[in-house]
Amino acid sequence: MPGAALSRWTMTYFAAALLFLILGETMMVAGYGFPSAPLRAPETLMLVHIVAIGWLTLLMLGALLQFVPVLVGRSLRAQRLALPALLLILVGLLCLEAGFAALAGMVPLYTSDLAAGAAALVLGVAMAVMIIGLTLWQARPLTAPARFVAIGIGCLVVTAMLGGAFALELSGIAENEIFSRLDLNGLSIHAVLGLGGWMSFTAIGVSYRLLMMFMLSPDSAARVDRAVLWIGAGALMLVAAGVPFIIAFAAPLTASLTIAGILGVVVVGLYVSDVVRIYRKRVRKTVELNSSASVGAYGALVASAALLAIVYFDHGDYAAAALTYAFVFGWLTGLGLAQLYKIIPFLTWLECYGPVLGKSPTPRVQDLVREKGASVWFVIYYASVAAGTICILSAQANLFRGTCLVQLLATLVIVAQYVRARCLADVAPALQLPHGARRPNLFLSRSS
Amino acid sequence: MNQQSHELDVRPILRSGGEPFQAIMKAVADLKPGQGLRLLATFRPEPLFRVMEGRGFTSVAREIDGGDWEVLFTPRVAAEPPVDVSTNAEMPQLWPDPDTSLDLTDLDPPEPMVRILAATEQMEPGRVLFALLSREPLFLFPELTRRHHQWVGSFDDTGEAYRILIRIGTRTENNNG
Repeated sequence: MPGAALSRWTMTYFAAALLFLILGETMMVAGYGFPSAPLRAPETLMLVHIVAIGWLTLLMLGALLQFVPVLVGRSLRAQRLALPALLLILVGLLCLEAGFAALAGMVPLYTSDLAAGAAALVLGVAMAVMIIGLTLWQARPLTAPARFVAIGIGCLVVTAMLGGAFALELSGIAENEIFSRLDLNGLSIHAVLGLGGWMSFTAIGVSYRLLMMFMLSPDSAARVDRAVLWIGAGALMLVAAGVPFIIAFAAPLTASLTIAGILGVVVVGLYVSDVVRIYRKRVRKTVELNSSASVGAYGALVASAALLAIVYFDHGDYAAAALTYAFVFGWLTGLGLAQLYKIIPFLTWLECYGPVLGKSPTPRVQDLVREKGASVWFVIYYASVAAGTICILSAQANLFRGTCLVQLLATLVIVAQYVRARCLADVAPALQLPHGARRPNLFLSRSS
Repeated sequence: MNQQSHELDVRPILRSGGEPFQAIMKAVADLKPGQGLRLLATFRPEPLFRVMEGRGFTSVAREIDGGDWEVLFTPRVAAEPPVDVSTNAEMPQLWPDPDTSLDLTDLDPPEPMVRILAATEQMEPGRVLFALLSREPLFLFPELTRRHHQWVGSFDDTGEAYRILIRIGTRTENNNG
């Protein structure tokens, strides 16, 4: 039947994701990873995977569990796998972290940690991909935003498999020529397909639909530029083509990465111009905080495209790290935090008040949040990320820890707003719990 | 909705040795939603069938006078937009005329959902509500079903407004159905 029900585990995914974001930022404040440690040090790997898997992947999966049904107008398939997928990813990530910690000499080495972590992660990702894939499959032919998601989860699969190969190679369990070739040459493919393909391409697709929904832009304004889809898909194919090349020739396919980078910049340009058009043609005149706070993320995306040029000419670690940091915390995290500011209150409102709408007076969605207080923290957040990027570029490791502290503080305040929304803390007491409404659990939605 | 097919005769282009592909693609791009294309050519344009298939058209070709060919390309999607129906809806064609109508096209979501649910609470079982919205109310559908109401909905021909008919249900009716 058409329609989109509340996704039972989305809030749990979000809660876990936000905890990992706070953990990751705390690690940066404490001087874990680059630039305090070398770029390829195990400490950096620990930090990168806390953020990439713990925060961003769980955030994206939680959001997709709720919004893929909205994109395709059909209910979710194989929903039962959502909880096992989450648990496997959590266990896998913890094992992976233990393995990296062992490589850093912090804990005794159990070679099986990395392999077990990779196995659990690949299995968890496979389950999540199955839910989303089956839901998309039953809704063919796919709309343009759904195609972005399909390509995004394809990239997730390749990223996870490459990661699995690296883990097996590093753990020394599987002595295999193919794994060592991939480990030596495939790191950039793993990173580009993960951050660019899985997270960004999916976020771009979903954002087309969400922006249009939240700002009531006419469909004509929000028509997805097919060029973004096809050029982006082409660029990702070029990147992925590096995998069989490395297996066959034991060398990276540098030219394809360069061309993909150029295409990526074109995609960013087209996408940002689409976004500008959607904002301009909106029918809803007041721009809510989730949409205005996303502007910083688009700025960071454009800045990342500029940083990519610096990386191309300057092959140093600092340029690459600055690009990754701006992309991950400015673009992906900024967009995520901004959209959660709408998604969490909306889902909470629907869960708590949906069953009593029309029967009793209920608050509006916007009554669950206080936008004014929160907006300044988004400004502080983006300013700290911009300053942090400059610190990395200029190799100021200690100053960077200072900007990360500000970033952590802003994140904590924003997350506290989500918790307040979940607890209905800002709703007038008279409207808080009308007869028949049940108070939402903090991170576990009631099944409907 | 049965629109007249657009007619395009590329025989003059072909006879003068030209390449008609551009002209055909432009004509296809200019078609209205649901409109077909009637193409006249000097041969059976086999490669074009694949191209048009990819764009969602079925093709029927027949030879006409003088060895020329006429091809009718019909959009595969039905001209009428698909209709969403709740699983509990029984014979919507027999429902009584709506006695309440709401135009909610100017409201920001989720206000239309709030208004519709408020209206359904005021109505007797068996009565019908009609509402016009600017979007497909995806989160409303499960809530209507939970309250044992039946519904049918579809976009209008322009695709810019969503129409929904809701028949107020009772718990007993649902249990029997």
